[in-house]
Amino acid sequence: MTLRKPFQIFLAVEKALFLREINKSISVGKAGLFWTFFQPFMQVALFVILRGFILGGGSENYDVATFMASGFIAFNMFRDTLSGSTNAFIANKQLFIYKQVKPIDTILARLLKTMFITSIIVLMFLFIGFFFQYGNIAPQNILMVFLGYLWLIVFSISVSLVAAIGSAFYISIGRVIGIMSFALLLGSAVFFPIISVPAEYQEYFLYNPLVHFMEMIHAAYIPELDDRFVDYQFMMYWTVVPMFIGAWLYQKLEKRIISL
Amino acid sequence: MIELRNVTKYFKTDESKKYLLKDVSLTLPDINIGLIGRNGTGKSTLMRMLGKIEFPNEGTIYSNNSFSWPMGLAGGVVPTMSGKANVKFVCNLYNKDPQETEEIIEYVRDFAELGEYFDLPVSTYSSGMRGRLGFGMSLPFDFDYLIIDETLATGDPVFQQKASDALKEKIGRCHIILVSHNPKTLLSMCDAGMVLNNGELNYYENIEDGIKYYREINEKEGKK
Repeated sequence: MTLRKPFQIFLAVEKALFLREINKSISVGKAGLFWTFFQPFMQVALFVILRGFILGGGSENYDVATFMASGFIAFNMFRDTLSGSTNAFIANKQLFIYKQVKPIDTILARLLKTMFITSIIVLMFLFIGFFFQYGNIAPQNILMVFLGYLWLIVFSISVSLVAAIGSAFYISIGRVIGIMSFALLLGSAVFFPIISVPAEYQEYFLYNPLVHFMEMIHAAYIPELDDRFVDYQFMMYWTVVPMFIGAWLYQKLEKRIISL
Repeated sequence: MIELRNVTKYFKTDESKKYLLKDVSLTLPDINIGLIGRNGTGKSTLMRMLGKIEFPNEGTIYSNNSFSWPMGLAGGVVPTMSGKANVKFVCNLYNKDPQETEEIIEYVRDFAELGEYFDLPVSTYSSGMRGRLGFGMSLPFDFDYLIIDETLATGDPVFQQKASDALKEKIGRCHIILVSHNPKTLLSMCDAGMVLNNGELNYYENIEDGIKYYREINEKEGKK
Protein backbone atom coordinates (compact mmCIF):
# COMPACT_ATOMS: atom_id res chain seq x y z
CA MET A 1 0.00 0.00 0.00
CA THR A 2 1.41 3.39 -0.98
CA LEU A 3 1.52 5.94 1.78
CA ARG A 4 -0.37 9.14 1.16
CA LYS A 5 0.70 12.54 2.40
CA PRO A 6 -1.51 14.08 5.09
CA PHE A 7 -2.64 16.81 2.71
CA GLN A 8 -3.67 14.26 0.09
CA ILE A 9 -5.69 12.44 2.72
CA PHE A 10 -7.28 15.72 3.76
CA LEU A 11 -8.28 16.50 0.18
CA ALA A 12 -9.71 13.01 -0.32
CA VAL A 13 -11.72 13.32 2.90
CA GLU A 14 -13.04 16.76 1.98
CA LYS A 15 -14.06 15.52 -1.45
CA ALA A 16 -15.84 12.49 -0.03
CA LEU A 17 -17.63 14.50 2.66
CA PHE A 18 -18.56 17.32 0.29
CA LEU A 19 -20.07 14.91 -2.24
CA ARG A 20 -21.92 13.23 0.60
CA GLU A 21 -23.37 16.54 1.82
CA ILE A 22 -24.43 17.53 -1.71
CA ASN A 23 -25.90 14.08 -2.25
CA LYS A 24 -27.84 14.45 0.98
CA SER A 25 -29.40 17.76 0.00
CA ILE A 26 -30.29 16.52 -3.49
CA SER A 27 -31.79 13.23 -2.31
CA VAL A 28 -34.41 15.08 -0.23
CA GLY A 29 -36.35 15.26 -3.48
CA LYS A 30 -37.23 17.91 -6.00
CA ALA A 31 -39.12 20.00 -3.46
CA GLY A 32 -36.09 20.19 -1.17
CA LEU A 33 -33.88 21.28 -4.00
CA PHE A 34 -36.44 23.82 -5.21
CA TRP A 35 -36.75 25.45 -1.79
CA THR A 36 -32.97 25.61 -1.32
CA PHE A 37 -32.80 28.03 -4.22
CA PHE A 38 -36.24 29.59 -4.07
CA GLN A 39 -36.21 30.45 -0.35
CA PRO A 40 -33.93 33.50 -0.67
CA PHE A 41 -36.09 34.92 -3.49
CA MET A 42 -39.16 34.50 -1.36
CA GLN A 43 -37.48 36.02 1.70
CA VAL A 44 -36.41 39.06 -0.27
CA ALA A 45 -39.82 39.50 -1.88
CA LEU A 46 -41.61 39.09 1.44
CA PHE A 47 -39.47 41.59 3.28
CA VAL A 48 -39.62 44.14 0.46
CA ILE A 49 -43.41 43.97 0.63
CA LEU A 50 -43.46 44.02 4.44
CA ARG A 51 -41.23 47.05 4.57
CA GLY A 52 -43.36 48.74 1.97
CA PHE A 53 -46.38 48.31 4.21
CA ILE A 54 -44.73 49.16 7.53
CA LEU A 55 -42.56 52.08 6.50
CA GLY A 56 -44.75 53.18 3.68
CA GLY A 57 -42.15 52.67 0.97
CA GLY A 58 -40.50 55.33 -1.13
CA SER A 59 -39.08 57.07 1.93
CA GLU A 60 -35.58 55.67 1.37
CA ASN A 61 -33.11 56.80 -1.21
CA TYR A 62 -31.62 53.37 -1.98
CA ASP A 63 -32.87 50.31 -3.84
CA VAL A 64 -34.70 48.14 -1.31
CA ALA A 65 -34.67 44.88 -3.28
CA THR A 66 -30.92 44.97 -3.85
CA PHE A 67 -30.44 45.91 -0.20
CA MET A 68 -32.50 42.93 0.98
CA ALA A 69 -30.89 40.49 -1.43
CA SER A 70 -27.30 41.37 -0.55
CA GLY A 71 -28.12 41.22 3.16
CA PHE A 72 -30.17 38.06 3.19
CA ILE A 73 -27.78 35.97 1.12
CA ALA A 74 -24.91 36.88 3.40
CA PHE A 75 -26.96 36.32 6.54
CA ASN A 76 -28.28 32.97 5.35
CA MET A 77 -24.75 31.86 4.63
CA PHE A 78 -23.71 32.72 8.17
CA ARG A 79 -26.77 31.10 9.70
CA ASP A 80 -26.49 27.89 7.67
CA THR A 81 -22.81 27.54 8.53
CA LEU A 82 -23.48 28.07 12.23
CA SER A 83 -26.50 25.79 12.49
CA GLY A 84 -24.89 23.18 10.23
CA SER A 85 -21.79 23.10 12.41
CA THR A 86 -23.46 22.90 15.79
CA ASN A 87 -24.64 19.34 15.19
CA ALA A 88 -21.93 18.35 12.71
CA PHE A 89 -19.95 16.28 15.22
CA ILE A 90 -22.95 14.36 16.53
CA ALA A 91 -24.56 13.84 13.11
CA ASN A 92 -21.36 12.53 11.54
CA LYS A 93 -20.34 10.35 14.46
CA GLN A 94 -20.57 7.18 12.39
CA LEU A 95 -18.06 8.54 9.92
CA PHE A 96 -15.32 8.83 12.53
CA ILE A 97 -14.96 5.05 12.29
CA TYR A 98 -12.77 5.82 9.29
CA LYS A 99 -9.67 7.20 10.90
CA GLN A 100 -9.00 9.59 8.02
CA VAL A 101 -12.12 11.58 8.90
CA LYS A 102 -11.34 14.15 11.58
CA PRO A 103 -14.17 16.07 13.23
CA ILE A 104 -13.07 19.39 11.77
CA ASP A 105 -13.38 17.93 8.26
CA THR A 106 -17.12 17.57 8.73
CA ILE A 107 -17.42 21.27 9.59
CA LEU A 108 -15.30 22.28 6.61
CA ALA A 109 -17.34 20.06 4.29
CA ARG A 110 -20.56 21.69 5.46
CA LEU A 111 -19.01 25.12 5.01
CA LEU A 112 -17.97 24.17 1.47
CA LYS A 113 -21.50 23.02 0.74
CA THR A 114 -22.97 26.26 2.07
CA MET A 115 -20.49 28.28 0.01
CA PHE A 116 -21.31 26.26 -3.07
CA ILE A 117 -25.06 26.78 -2.70
CA THR A 118 -24.61 30.45 -1.80
CA SER A 119 -22.58 31.12 -4.92
CA ILE A 120 -25.26 29.48 -7.07
CA ILE A 121 -27.88 31.67 -5.43
CA VAL A 122 -25.78 34.80 -5.99
CA LEU A 123 -25.34 33.90 -9.65
CA MET A 124 -29.08 33.31 -9.99
CA PHE A 125 -29.87 36.74 -8.53
CA LEU A 126 -27.31 38.40 -10.80
CA PHE A 127 -28.52 36.60 -13.93
CA ILE A 128 -32.14 37.44 -13.25
CA GLY A 129 -31.25 41.04 -12.42
CA PHE A 130 -29.17 41.58 -15.53
CA PHE A 131 -31.66 39.73 -17.73
CA PHE A 132 -34.37 42.21 -16.80
CA GLN A 133 -31.81 45.05 -17.09
CA TYR A 134 -32.28 45.95 -13.45
CA GLY A 135 -29.34 48.36 -13.22
CA ASN A 136 -29.21 48.57 -9.41
CA ILE A 137 -28.15 44.92 -9.16
CA ALA A 138 -24.58 45.85 -10.16
CA PRO A 139 -22.45 46.37 -7.05
CA GLN A 140 -20.80 49.72 -6.55
CA ASN A 141 -17.52 48.26 -5.33
CA ILE A 142 -17.33 44.62 -6.33
CA LEU A 143 -13.98 43.90 -4.66
CA MET A 144 -15.18 45.26 -1.34
CA VAL A 145 -18.33 43.12 -1.58
CA PHE A 146 -16.17 40.12 -2.31
CA LEU A 147 -13.96 40.92 0.67
CA GLY A 148 -17.02 41.33 2.85
CA TYR A 149 -18.35 37.91 1.92
CA LEU A 150 -14.95 36.29 2.29
CA TRP A 151 -14.42 37.87 5.70
CA LEU A 152 -17.88 36.76 6.73
CA ILE A 153 -16.97 33.18 5.77
CA VAL A 154 -13.84 33.29 7.94
CA PHE A 155 -15.85 34.82 10.77
CA SER A 156 -18.54 32.13 10.38
CA ILE A 157 -16.07 29.28 10.52
CA SER A 158 -14.35 30.71 13.61
CA VAL A 159 -17.60 31.13 15.51
CA SER A 160 -18.93 27.81 14.23
CA LEU A 161 -15.87 25.90 15.41
CA VAL A 162 -16.33 27.18 18.96
CA ALA A 163 -20.06 26.51 18.80
CA ALA A 164 -19.56 23.01 17.42
CA ILE A 165 -17.08 22.02 20.11
CA GLY A 166 -19.31 23.50 22.80
CA SER A 167 -22.45 21.77 21.64
CA ALA A 168 -20.64 18.45 21.29
CA PHE A 169 -20.26 18.39 25.07
CA TYR A 170 -23.20 20.52 26.19
CA ILE A 171 -26.47 20.03 24.32
CA SER A 172 -27.82 23.32 25.74
CA ILE A 173 -25.37 25.35 23.67
CA GLY A 174 -26.86 23.99 20.46
CA ARG A 175 -30.36 24.84 21.68
CA VAL A 176 -29.40 28.40 22.63
CA ILE A 177 -27.82 28.94 19.22
CA GLY A 178 -31.00 27.69 17.56
CA ILE A 179 -33.07 30.23 19.47
CA MET A 180 -30.52 32.98 18.96
CA SER A 181 -30.49 32.68 15.18
CA PHE A 182 -33.96 34.23 14.98
CA ALA A 183 -32.97 37.04 17.32
CA LEU A 184 -29.90 37.59 15.18
CA LEU A 185 -32.06 37.93 12.08
CA LEU A 186 -33.97 40.77 13.78
CA GLY A 187 -30.95 42.44 15.31
CA SER A 188 -28.34 42.22 12.60
CA ALA A 189 -29.35 45.05 10.27
CA VAL A 190 -30.22 42.55 7.59
CA PHE A 191 -33.36 44.30 6.35
CA PHE A 192 -32.70 47.83 7.59
CA PRO A 193 -29.57 49.97 7.66
CA ILE A 194 -28.30 51.20 11.03
CA ILE A 195 -28.67 54.79 9.83
CA SER A 196 -32.45 54.39 9.87
CA VAL A 197 -32.38 53.32 13.53
CA PRO A 198 -32.99 56.17 16.03
CA ALA A 199 -29.64 57.61 17.08
CA GLU A 200 -29.93 56.71 20.77
CA TYR A 201 -30.33 52.97 19.98
CA GLN A 202 -27.65 52.73 17.30
CA GLU A 203 -24.82 51.97 19.75
CA TYR A 204 -26.63 48.89 21.11
CA PHE A 205 -26.89 47.40 17.65
CA LEU A 206 -23.20 48.01 17.08
CA TYR A 207 -22.21 45.52 19.79
CA ASN A 208 -23.35 42.79 17.42
CA PRO A 209 -20.46 41.84 15.13
CA LEU A 210 -22.83 40.69 12.40
CA VAL A 211 -24.19 44.25 12.10
CA HIS A 212 -20.74 45.41 11.04
CA PHE A 213 -20.50 42.73 8.36
CA MET A 214 -23.95 43.57 7.03
CA GLU A 215 -23.19 47.29 7.01
CA MET A 216 -19.88 46.67 5.26
CA ILE A 217 -21.50 44.58 2.52
CA HIS A 218 -24.41 46.99 2.10
CA ALA A 219 -22.11 49.99 1.96
CA ALA A 220 -19.95 48.38 -0.71
CA TYR A 221 -22.93 47.23 -2.73
CA ILE A 222 -25.18 50.27 -2.71
CA PRO A 223 -23.85 53.67 -3.74
CA GLU A 224 -26.23 55.60 -1.48
CA LEU A 225 -25.01 53.91 1.73
CA ASP A 226 -21.64 54.32 3.42
CA ASP A 227 -19.67 52.43 6.05
CA ARG A 228 -19.63 55.15 8.72
CA PHE A 229 -20.78 52.67 11.42
CA VAL A 230 -18.41 49.87 10.47
CA ASP A 231 -15.59 49.26 12.94
CA TYR A 232 -13.12 47.09 11.06
CA GLN A 233 -10.98 46.56 14.15
CA PHE A 234 -13.99 45.23 16.07
CA MET A 235 -14.70 42.80 13.22
CA MET A 236 -11.09 41.64 13.25
CA TYR A 237 -11.22 40.93 17.00
CA TRP A 238 -14.39 38.92 16.51
CA THR A 239 -12.72 36.91 13.76
CA VAL A 240 -9.31 36.29 15.27
CA VAL A 241 -10.24 35.66 18.91
CA PRO A 242 -12.87 32.93 18.26
CA MET A 243 -10.59 31.39 15.66
CA PHE A 244 -7.79 30.93 18.15
CA ILE A 245 -10.10 29.83 20.95
CA GLY A 246 -11.66 27.31 18.56
CA ALA A 247 -8.35 26.00 17.29
CA TRP A 248 -7.00 25.70 20.84
CA LEU A 249 -10.07 23.88 22.13
CA TYR A 250 -10.10 21.67 19.06
CA GLN A 251 -6.55 20.44 19.36
CA LYS A 252 -7.15 19.80 23.09
CA LEU A 253 -10.40 17.91 22.57
CA GLU A 254 -10.09 16.30 19.13
CA LYS A 255 -9.50 12.80 20.50
CA ARG A 256 -12.42 13.05 22.89
CA ILE A 257 -14.70 14.20 20.08
CA ILE A 258 -13.66 11.30 17.84
CA SER A 259 -14.53 8.71 20.49
CA LEU A 260 -17.59 10.60 21.66
CA MET B 1 4.52 -5.37 13.97
CA ILE B 2 2.34 -3.70 16.55
CA GLU B 3 3.86 -2.34 19.71
CA LEU B 4 1.87 -1.47 22.78
CA ARG B 5 3.86 0.65 25.22
CA ASN B 6 2.49 0.95 28.75
CA VAL B 7 -1.03 1.22 27.45
CA THR B 8 -3.68 2.01 30.02
CA LYS B 9 -7.32 2.46 29.16
CA TYR B 10 -10.12 3.04 31.62
CA PHE B 11 -13.65 4.32 31.70
CA LYS B 12 -14.77 6.51 34.54
CA THR B 13 -17.88 5.47 36.34
CA ASP B 14 -19.45 7.55 39.12
CA GLU B 15 -17.16 6.35 41.88
CA SER B 16 -14.33 4.41 40.34
CA LYS B 17 -12.37 3.77 37.20
CA LYS B 18 -13.03 0.61 35.28
CA TYR B 19 -9.79 -0.61 33.77
CA LEU B 20 -9.92 -2.32 30.40
CA LEU B 21 -6.15 -2.34 29.97
CA LYS B 22 -3.78 -1.80 32.83
CA ASP B 23 -0.22 -0.86 31.91
CA VAL B 24 0.06 -3.34 29.06
CA SER B 25 3.35 -3.57 27.17
CA LEU B 26 3.41 -6.04 24.34
CA THR B 27 4.94 -6.51 20.92
CA LEU B 28 2.88 -8.42 18.41
CA PRO B 29 4.55 -9.99 15.38
CA ASP B 30 2.99 -9.87 11.91
CA ILE B 31 0.72 -12.89 12.09
CA ASN B 32 -2.99 -13.53 12.25
CA ILE B 33 -4.17 -12.97 15.78
CA GLY B 34 -7.38 -13.99 17.44
CA LEU B 35 -8.60 -11.83 20.31
CA ILE B 36 -10.66 -13.61 22.94
CA GLY B 37 -12.38 -12.39 26.06
CA ARG B 38 -15.64 -12.31 27.89
CA ASN B 39 -18.28 -9.73 27.07
CA GLY B 40 -17.48 -6.28 28.37
CA THR B 41 -13.78 -6.84 28.92
CA GLY B 42 -12.88 -4.26 26.27
CA LYS B 43 -12.23 -6.28 23.13
CA SER B 44 -14.06 -3.82 20.93
CA THR B 45 -12.36 -0.87 22.60
CA LEU B 46 -8.98 -2.45 21.95
CA MET B 47 -9.97 -2.93 18.32
CA ARG B 48 -11.05 0.69 18.10
CA MET B 49 -7.72 1.74 19.59
CA LEU B 50 -5.87 -0.25 16.93
CA GLY B 51 -8.06 1.46 14.32
CA LYS B 52 -7.06 4.84 15.77
CA ILE B 53 -10.57 5.98 16.56
CA GLU B 54 -10.21 5.55 20.28
CA PHE B 55 -7.12 6.56 22.21
CA PRO B 56 -5.43 5.09 25.29
CA ASN B 57 -5.52 7.19 28.46
CA GLU B 58 -1.82 6.55 28.94
CA GLY B 59 0.89 5.02 26.80
CA THR B 60 1.03 4.62 23.04
CA ILE B 61 0.22 2.08 20.40
CA TYR B 62 2.85 2.17 17.74
CA SER B 63 2.79 0.51 14.34
CA ASN B 64 4.09 1.09 10.83
CA ASN B 65 1.30 -0.89 9.27
CA SER B 66 -1.99 0.26 7.86
CA PHE B 67 -5.15 -0.87 9.56
CA SER B 68 -8.66 -1.22 8.23
CA TRP B 69 -11.53 0.42 10.06
CA PRO B 70 -12.93 -1.87 12.77
CA MET B 71 -15.50 -3.98 11.01
CA GLY B 72 -18.24 -4.98 13.35
CA LEU B 73 -21.90 -5.68 13.47
CA ALA B 74 -22.83 -2.01 13.42
CA GLY B 75 -19.71 -0.16 12.36
CA GLY B 76 -18.50 0.98 9.01
CA VAL B 77 -21.74 1.92 7.33
CA VAL B 78 -23.79 5.11 7.62
CA PRO B 79 -27.52 4.35 8.01
CA THR B 80 -28.84 7.42 6.17
CA MET B 81 -26.92 6.69 2.97
CA SER B 82 -27.64 3.91 0.50
CA GLY B 83 -25.35 0.92 0.29
CA LYS B 84 -23.94 2.20 -2.96
CA ALA B 85 -23.33 5.67 -1.53
CA ASN B 86 -21.52 4.10 1.39
CA VAL B 87 -19.18 2.22 -0.93
CA LYS B 88 -18.61 5.35 -3.01
CA PHE B 89 -17.84 7.33 0.11
CA VAL B 90 -15.12 4.91 1.18
CA CYS B 91 -13.70 4.84 -2.38
CA ASN B 92 -13.44 8.63 -2.23
CA LEU B 93 -11.72 8.42 1.13
CA TYR B 94 -9.07 6.13 -0.32
CA ASN B 95 -8.48 8.17 -3.51
CA LYS B 96 -9.85 5.58 -5.93
CA ASP B 97 -10.31 6.86 -9.47
CA PRO B 98 -13.76 6.59 -11.14
CA GLN B 99 -12.96 3.35 -12.93
CA GLU B 100 -11.69 1.61 -9.79
CA THR B 101 -14.72 2.95 -7.92
CA GLU B 102 -17.01 1.43 -10.52
CA GLU B 103 -15.26 -1.94 -10.22
CA ILE B 104 -15.41 -1.88 -6.44
CA ILE B 105 -19.12 -1.02 -6.48
CA GLU B 106 -19.80 -3.94 -8.83
CA TYR B 107 -17.73 -6.25 -6.67
CA VAL B 108 -19.56 -5.31 -3.47
CA ARG B 109 -22.93 -5.52 -5.24
CA ASP B 110 -22.13 -9.08 -6.30
CA PHE B 111 -20.57 -10.10 -3.05
CA ALA B 112 -23.18 -8.78 -0.63
CA GLU B 113 -26.12 -10.12 -2.70
CA LEU B 114 -28.34 -7.26 -1.63
CA GLY B 115 -30.27 -6.99 -4.88
CA GLU B 116 -32.33 -3.82 -5.17
CA TYR B 117 -31.61 -3.00 -1.51
CA PHE B 118 -28.15 -1.88 -2.62
CA ASP B 119 -29.68 1.42 -3.78
CA LEU B 120 -31.82 1.93 -0.66
CA PRO B 121 -30.71 3.57 2.61
CA VAL B 122 -28.88 1.23 4.94
CA SER B 123 -31.44 2.01 7.66
CA THR B 124 -33.92 -0.18 5.75
CA TYR B 125 -31.59 -3.20 5.92
CA SER B 126 -31.86 -6.10 8.30
CA SER B 127 -28.90 -6.60 10.60
CA GLY B 128 -27.71 -9.55 8.53
CA MET B 129 -27.75 -7.46 5.36
CA ARG B 130 -25.88 -4.70 7.13
CA GLY B 131 -23.20 -7.15 8.19
CA ARG B 132 -22.92 -8.47 4.63
CA LEU B 133 -22.50 -4.97 3.21
CA GLY B 134 -19.98 -4.01 5.88
CA PHE B 135 -17.96 -7.13 5.27
CA GLY B 136 -18.11 -6.86 1.47
CA MET B 137 -17.01 -3.23 1.59
CA SER B 138 -13.77 -4.02 3.35
CA LEU B 139 -12.58 -6.70 0.94
CA PRO B 140 -11.58 -4.60 -2.11
CA PHE B 141 -9.29 -2.33 -0.09
CA ASP B 142 -5.72 -3.20 0.73
CA PHE B 143 -4.54 -3.02 4.30
CA ASP B 144 -1.76 -4.66 6.25
CA TYR B 145 -4.23 -5.59 8.96
CA LEU B 146 -7.92 -6.24 8.85
CA ILE B 147 -9.67 -5.59 12.14
CA ILE B 148 -12.70 -7.82 12.34
CA ASP B 149 -15.18 -7.78 15.17
CA GLU B 150 -17.44 -10.84 15.00
CA THR B 151 -18.60 -9.99 11.49
CA LEU B 152 -18.24 -13.56 10.34
CA ALA B 153 -21.15 -14.60 12.50
CA THR B 154 -23.63 -12.66 10.37
CA GLY B 155 -25.69 -14.03 7.55
CA ASP B 156 -27.02 -17.41 6.63
CA PRO B 157 -24.76 -20.50 6.37
CA VAL B 158 -24.23 -19.97 2.62
CA PHE B 159 -22.99 -16.44 3.12
CA GLN B 160 -20.89 -17.46 6.11
CA GLN B 161 -19.11 -20.00 3.95
CA LYS B 162 -18.61 -17.43 1.21
CA ALA B 163 -17.31 -14.87 3.70
CA SER B 164 -14.81 -17.20 5.29
CA ASP B 165 -13.59 -18.33 1.85
CA ALA B 166 -13.11 -14.70 0.77
CA LEU B 167 -11.35 -13.93 4.00
CA LYS B 168 -9.02 -16.91 3.67
CA GLU B 169 -8.08 -15.75 0.20
CA LYS B 170 -7.51 -12.24 1.55
CA ILE B 171 -5.32 -13.52 4.38
CA GLY B 172 -2.75 -14.46 1.76
CA ARG B 173 -2.16 -10.73 1.21
CA CYS B 174 -2.72 -9.28 4.66
CA HIS B 175 -3.05 -10.17 8.33
CA ILE B 176 -6.13 -10.13 10.48
CA ILE B 177 -6.99 -9.41 14.05
CA LEU B 178 -10.18 -11.27 14.74
CA VAL B 179 -12.57 -11.06 17.66
CA SER B 180 -14.68 -14.17 17.97
CA HIS B 181 -16.25 -16.47 20.51
CA ASN B 182 -16.25 -19.37 18.12
CA PRO B 183 -13.22 -21.66 18.67
CA LYS B 184 -13.66 -23.22 15.22
CA THR B 185 -13.39 -19.89 13.42
CA LEU B 186 -10.44 -18.87 15.56
CA LEU B 187 -8.58 -22.13 14.92
CA SER B 188 -9.08 -21.98 11.17
CA MET B 189 -8.19 -18.29 10.73
CA CYS B 190 -5.64 -17.39 13.37
CA ASP B 191 -2.16 -18.52 14.34
CA ALA B 192 -1.69 -16.66 17.59
CA GLY B 193 -4.09 -15.64 20.28
CA MET B 194 -4.62 -12.87 22.80
CA VAL B 195 -6.82 -13.19 25.85
CA LEU B 196 -8.17 -10.05 27.46
CA ASN B 197 -9.28 -10.40 31.05
CA ASN B 198 -9.50 -7.92 33.94
CA GLY B 199 -7.19 -5.36 32.39
CA GLU B 200 -4.59 -7.94 31.45
CA LEU B 201 -3.73 -8.82 27.90
CA ASN B 202 -1.98 -12.16 27.51
CA TYR B 203 -0.36 -13.19 24.27
CA TYR B 204 -0.14 -16.84 23.17
CA GLU B 205 1.99 -17.93 20.27
CA ASN B 206 -0.43 -20.75 19.67
CA ILE B 207 -4.10 -19.99 19.46
CA GLU B 208 -4.96 -23.31 21.12
CA ASP B 209 -3.28 -22.25 24.38
CA GLY B 210 -5.29 -19.05 24.28
CA ILE B 211 -8.55 -20.89 23.85
CA LYS B 212 -7.59 -23.24 26.67
CA TYR B 213 -6.89 -20.33 29.03
CA TYR B 214 -10.16 -18.68 27.96
CA ARG B 215 -12.03 -21.89 28.88
CA GLU B 216 -10.37 -21.88 32.30
CA ILE B 217 -11.50 -18.31 32.91
CA ASN B 218 -15.01 -19.19 31.88
CA GLU B 219 -15.10 -22.21 34.17
CA LYS B 220 -13.85 -20.16 37.11
CA GLU B 221 -16.47 -17.50 36.47
CA GLY B 222 -19.15 -20.13 36.03
CA LYS B 223 -18.43 -21.66 39.45
CA LYS B 224 -18.81 -18.40 41.34
